[in-house]
Amino acid sequence: MAQFLQQMVNGLSIGSVYALMAVGYSLVYSIMNFSNFAHGGVIMFGAYFGFFAMTQLKLPFPAAFAVAFVGTAVLAVVIERIAYKPLRERNAPFLYFIISAMGASIFLENIIIATIGPTFRTYPDVFGRTSISLGSVAIGRLDLIMFVISAVCLAGLVLFIEKTKIGRAIQASAYNMKAAALMGVNTDRVVMIVFALGGMLAGIAGVFFGMKYTVYPQIGNITTKSFVAAVFGGLGSLPGAVLGSVLLGIIETLVAGYLSSQFRDLIAFVILIGVLVFRPTGIMGKTTEDKA
Amino acid sequence: MSDILQVRGLTKRFGGLAAVNEVDFNVREGGISGLIGPNGAGKTTIFNLITGVYKVTSGSVSFEGKDITDTEPYRIADIGITRTFQNIRLFKNLTVFDNVLTACHASASYNLADSLLRLPRFRREEKTLKEKALELLSILGLADRKDAIANGLPYGLQRRLEITRALALDPRLLLLDEPAAGMNPDETEQLMRLIGDIRNRFKLSVLVIEHHMDLVMGLCEHIVVLNFGQKLADGTPDAIRGDKRVVEAYLGGGE
Amino acid sequence: MSSYLEGIIMLSGINLIAVLGLSLLTGFAGLFSFGHAGFMAIGAYSAAICTTIFKLPFFVGIAAAAAAAAGASWLIGRATLRLKGDYFCIATLGFGEAIRLILDNFQGLGGARGWPGIPPHTTLVNILILDVIGVVLLANLVRSRHGRNMIAVREEELAAQVAGINTFKYKMLALVVSAAYAGVAGALLGHYMTFIQPKMFSMVKSTELTIIVIFGGLGSISGSVLGAVVLTFLPELLRAVDKWRLVVYGLAVIGIMIGRPRGLMGGFELTPKSVRAHFARLREAKAARADQAAEEKGGL
Ligand SMILES: Nc1ncnc2c1ncn2[C@@H]1O[C@H](COP(=O)(O)OP(=O)(O)OP(=O)(O)O)[C@@H](O)[C@H]1O
Ligand SMILES: [Mg+2]
Repeated sequence: MAQFLQQMVNGLSIGSVYALMAVGYSLVYSIMNFSNFAHGGVIMFGAYFGFFAMTQLKLPFPAAFAVAFVGTAVLAVVIERIAYKPLRERNAPFLYFIISAMGASIFLENIIIATIGPTFRTYPDVFGRTSISLGSVAIGRLDLIMFVISAVCLAGLVLFIEKTKIGRAIQASAYNMKAAALMGVNTDRVVMIVFALGGMLAGIAGVFFGMKYTVYPQIGNITTKSFVAAVFGGLGSLPGAVLGSVLLGIIETLVAGYLSSQFRDLIAFVILIGVLVFRPTGIMGKTTEDKA
Repeated sequence: MSDILQVRGLTKRFGGLAAVNEVDFNVREGGISGLIGPNGAGKTTIFNLITGVYKVTSGSVSFEGKDITDTEPYRIADIGITRTFQNIRLFKNLTVFDNVLTACHASASYNLADSLLRLPRFRREEKTLKEKALELLSILGLADRKDAIANGLPYGLQRRLEITRALALDPRLLLLDEPAAGMNPDETEQLMRLIGDIRNRFKLSVLVIEHHMDLVMGLCEHIVVLNFGQKLADGTPDAIRGDKRVVEAYLGGGE
Repeated sequence: MSSYLEGIIMLSGINLIAVLGLSLLTGFAGLFSFGHAGFMAIGAYSAAICTTIFKLPFFVGIAAAAAAAAGASWLIGRATLRLKGDYFCIATLGFGEAIRLILDNFQGLGGARGWPGIPPHTTLVNILILDVIGVVLLANLVRSRHGRNMIAVREEELAAQVAGINTFKYKMLALVVSAAYAGVAGALLGHYMTFIQPKMFSMVKSTELTIIVIFGGLGSISGSVLGAVVLTFLPELLRAVDKWRLVVYGLAVIGIMIGRPRGLMGGFELTPKSVRAHFARLREAKAARADQAAEEKGGL
């Protein structure tokens, strides 16, 4: 029982970081209707930004953290401006967006390999390896901090989307971009803000992944999990993305704990296939009819 | 005259909005019928329901006496109904000829092996398809543009091409969604004549959505009026012209 | 011929088969796959099982490779091709990774360390024969009603549907044929290298195939042929700047989508007839310009 609780806690922590990725990805998906496969590259940059801010600039963790997420917010917006905006403007087919995203993703990963090199780097140990005991369950300091910060970020995002004017414009655009434009919403700005938000969350996730694992050019591949989580929860739904991520995190940890850690990465795909076959709309997704 | 299409109690809800609400009407076999109503009345939605693009909330559609409610869109063409779209949907990057040739596919029956190996049946049928596409293009007056890319055609010709493509499937009922939208009076006049010609030449029935009152009144033998998803009136052009509720709906009373 | 050169020619011939398949899927049917390396893996391992374990002839292995890859793709298609949105794309991504992970952990076939000792059945001759067959079949397919229906799905799905095209069926057809090509390429690769390892079929491989299709031009078979040859040779020639190769590719892919989305040869096929037609158009244009110039002079 104690072991089970322990796994749940660990799963919740990693799941909350998955949620950061998946929400950023779903946010963009809900507005643009295409999978931003460059999201992984942005996450990877977040990990490197944080790493170099701490090791080269010798910044304390909170400042490095801020450097990382501001950096990735800017990066995500720049990618949008260069790789997607021209396509948006001429109403290009979705296929072109996906291909452009793939190009961006290849570029981001390989520019790091070409300049910084493919080596694995380890974050300075900020939080120590000590853990806090709660009865029989021990929570790592890093795990706890990851969970708390992720939860705060997600709550902040919800507030932003629900309470601000821009947030409501984002909702309207997600429902129907053309109609929103007709109602006077500046959709170009909405897109920019959505990419900035997604980029920020990606940067935070990147730093956490870097701290939990290590930093390396392919670390962005972990976003595959956010795609799975998003489908699991219901493609395009933000609450779904959070739920899917947390569940995925927990299931993965349980599988690693009770079966074998080799199956840990495989389980995500088993879930993906199960969802696609039995309930493609995911847990919270709903079907909509395209306007014809 | 008998009815080729019967719509009964047709309803479509989007969330809380009843875009189409308990609508009944018939389309006469061999006739040209009109579907009119202010913006957002639910006209296009009715086309989408007939052609299976949307699933109906309730009600039924039957064609030549058979129930076709919620048939998959791709089977509707086989059954004998084709349509055009309000916001033209051509195969944009293909030539005019290929747009029509693609739609002729149902007239061929060669299989995948015939295709892959270019067997005699493939050659024979492919030749017939090409002839058919060319013939249609010349009937519709697009033959001299056959090698132009669809996207580059002037607006009026794009609409015409879309009609040609719909005809390539040998429909018995043709649904036209605002075919005159964006046309000048001259072109509209031409289009009216074209629709009449098509009906006579291809022996089919037409249901047309249109805002141009002149076109509708001049062309249609039977008119259905919609407002806020409900049927307001139904009858000959003269009856519709005299209907108080219709006049009201169109002159601001319905807004 | 030096064996080095021969090796590169063989590799580009093998790549070409996978690229042709992907070209059908992406260039003609408009579907994007991240999982073609997975289909190649299935092909490579199935063929190796046939020839190494069951000692069957190579052509049986190739047929099995095509069938196995096609079967796997059919399952993915069945689950995702009816859904709107990026499900298919995500599923292929998941599939590609999952196949690799499964093979990594399946010790019976060598696991992550790989499977050596596959007979060297792949020769330049059988590659070239299969290349020719591959090009001919694909060219025949895309210029038939089946191929036109796929193109219609790419161009405008809803219009294709109301034109009586079963879009699900034609997407599926494109996918299955495409996966079969990838399977054959995998079989050839395994019997060329005489060694297979899950790592050879990672997402990077899928991405490279897609890049070749995009460079060559969406919707052009001759473009795909050109792309496969050029982009297999180029990296070999540019070994020195290999580090920067993918950086440049990434930028170029974005550039192509923005500037020339149909790639090098998009929509244009290099056939004797098309070349003649092209020159005829050029001559006409020149004549027209000359006429115009003459007219303008006359008018002054
Ligand atoms: N897919 C959809 N989702 C939500 N609402 C829809 C959808 N399709 C149509 N509607 C709504 O249904 C109503 C009827 O729309 P419809 O397009 O049928 O009108 P219409 O009579 O064709 O108008 P117009 O003359 O402008 O073409 C409108 O309020 C429209 O917003
Ligand atoms: Mg309409």
